[in-house]
Amino acid sequence: MTTLVHRRIDALQLHDMIEGAPQQTVCLSDDHRRSLSARFRAVPTSTHRRLDAWSVEVAGRSSGPFEWSPASTRRYLGNAGLRRALSSTTLSIRDAVRDEVGEQLVRATSQRARPGSMASWLASCEHPVVGLVIADALNWATQLDEILEMVQFDARVATNDAYYDVAAARTTLRARRDIVIQRGDARIVVRVRSGSPGKSAGPGLRADLTIETLADATGEAPLRYIGLWPEAGVALAVDGTMGDLRAGARDLVRTAVARGRVRTPIAA
Amino acid sequence: MTLLLDHPPSLVDVLRGDRATRPASDRRVASGVRSLIEDGLYEIVVDRPSEPVVVRPSSLRQSFATSDLAASASSRLRGVLVNQVLRLLSVAMVVDDPFHDALAAWRAQGSRGALHDAFEQMDADERARLEIDANAHCVTLRRALGDVPQGWMPRSSLRALQHLAGGAVVLRDVVDLMIGSLNRDVASVALFDVTTAPLGEGSERAMRYHALVQTLRTSTMPLRTAAFSTATGELWSQDVDFDMLARSVDEVLAFVERALRP
Repeated sequence: MTTLVHRRIDALQLHDMIEGAPQQTVCLSDDHRRSLSARFRAVPTSTHRRLDAWSVEVAGRSSGPFEWSPASTRRYLGNAGLRRALSSTTLSIRDAVRDEVGEQLVRATSQRARPGSMASWLASCEHPVVGLVIADALNWATQLDEILEMVQFDARVATNDAYYDVAAARTTLRARRDIVIQRGDARIVVRVRSGSPGKSAGPGLRADLTIETLADATGEAPLRYIGLWPEAGVALAVDGTMGDLRAGARDLVRTAVARGRVRTPIAA
Repeated sequence: MTLLLDHPPSLVDVLRGDRATRPASDRRVASGVRSLIEDGLYEIVVDRPSEPVVVRPSSLRQSFATSDLAASASSRLRGVLVNQVLRLLSVAMVVDDPFHDALAAWRAQGSRGALHDAFEQMDADERARLEIDANAHCVTLRRALGDVPQGWMPRSSLRALQHLAGGAVVLRDVVDLMIGSLNRDVASVALFDVTTAPLGEGSERAMRYHALVQTLRTSTMPLRTAAFSTATGELWSQDVDFDMLARSVDEVLAFVERALRP
C-alpha cells in the first residue's frame, strides 16, 4: 500500500504536513540493494543510463538534448545563492545570486571549467543573458526562501542532489532535493518543481524517496518526501514506508525497461 | 484607484506605499474566494469539456483585440522586449541598449514560437521601427521605475496556474514584477503589470485577475495590484480587497460561460 498526501502550500498546511509525518524510520538493507541491483542488471543497456523522478513520470521517454538556458541554471544558482545569503549576515539574496554567477564566470576565465559546463556556457553569454540568468535564479531563491520561512523546524537548503550508482548495472539514479528538514535523528526532504503536478507526480515522488534512501549510507528513509509546486500552490507528499519504497523501486526498474524498448532499434 | 501622471515618486515607491498604513496580512479570504469561484463554475461547467478552458489575463483584456495582424505581432513583440528590460532592471543590470539587450535576453530563453517567426520575417525597415518604438517605451519605463530595493524581494515574470472545477478550467497568469514577502504580519505583496498599450478597462480586469490568481495560489491576499503603461506613463494602482476579488471571480465566470456556450 502506498501513500499520497495532498495539500495547498501555506505555512499552516506545510507545518501540518511536517508534523503529520510518520514517526518511525524505515531502513533498506543490503539485501534490498542486492535485489534491486539484480533487477537492473536483468535490463540490458548499451550505454550508461541515468534515471530520475522525471524519467519515471514520462515513462522513460527521452526528451530533447540538454542545453543550458536561464531556466536550466536557475535551480543550481538559486539554491547556491540562497545558501550563501543565509550563511551571511550582510548579503542580500540578490547579491548572493550575483556572487554565485560571478564565481562561475571566474571559474571559466581561470580555465577551471570543463567545456559544456554551466560555467563555460555562462562565460559565452552576452551581458543581458547573464542578467536574465540572475533574474531567474533570484526568482527561484526568493521562492525557496519563502518556503524556508514557512517551515518552523530545523531546515537547511540541500547542498546537492542524491545520487546512487547501482552496482554492476551501468545505472545512476538521481533524486532532487532542495530543502532538508531535521526531525530528531530523522529527516524530511522537500523538492520544488515548476508548473503543476501531473497524474504521475506520485510515482515521481516515490522514485525520489527510494533514490534518496538508497543514497543514504545507512539506508535510512526520510520520514516523508514532500514535493512542492509553488506556481500551482500545491504540495504532495509520500511517506517513507516500505510500501512506498518498494513502489518507487518497481517504477524505476519499469522505467529502465521502457527506455530500453524505446532505444532498441527495429530490424529492417 | 490612484491615477498618477508622468513620474512623481518612483513606481516601486507607489507599489509599496506607506508601511505604517498597511493592513494585516489576510490569510483567510482565500478559502472564501476559492469556494466562490468553484461554486460558480459548478453551475456553468455542466459537462466536462474535452479540453480545459484556459483563462489568461489577455482573455479579459477585450480591448487587446485588433484586426491588423501585423500590427498585433509588432505590438506583442514590443511588449515582450519591454518586459525583458523590466526583468533586467529588477536585478539592477545596466541596460545600455534596451532593444538589443532585450532581444538577446528574449532569444536566450530558447522557446521558439509564432512571435519568433514573426520577428524573423520582419524586414529591415520593420525591425528599425520596432527598435525605435521599443527603445522609447523602455526609456519611459526606466525613468518611472526607479531603483528596486533588494530587501523588497523582487521577482519578475512570475508564473501561476490554478486548476479549477476538477481540471475543466485552468487559470494561467504571469505577473511582470512582484515585490514583497508572503510571510510578513502586514500585507506587503504588490503585483505590477507593464503594458505598452494605453490603460483601459481591460487593464483593470487584468489587474484584478492578477490579484485573484495570486490569492488562490498563495492563500494570502496581496496588498495591491498595479498596471503601468509605457505608452502614456500612467500608473493605476489599487489596494486588493474581497470586493475586488469577487468582481474578478465574476469576470472569470463570464469568460468561462462564453467559452463553453458561445
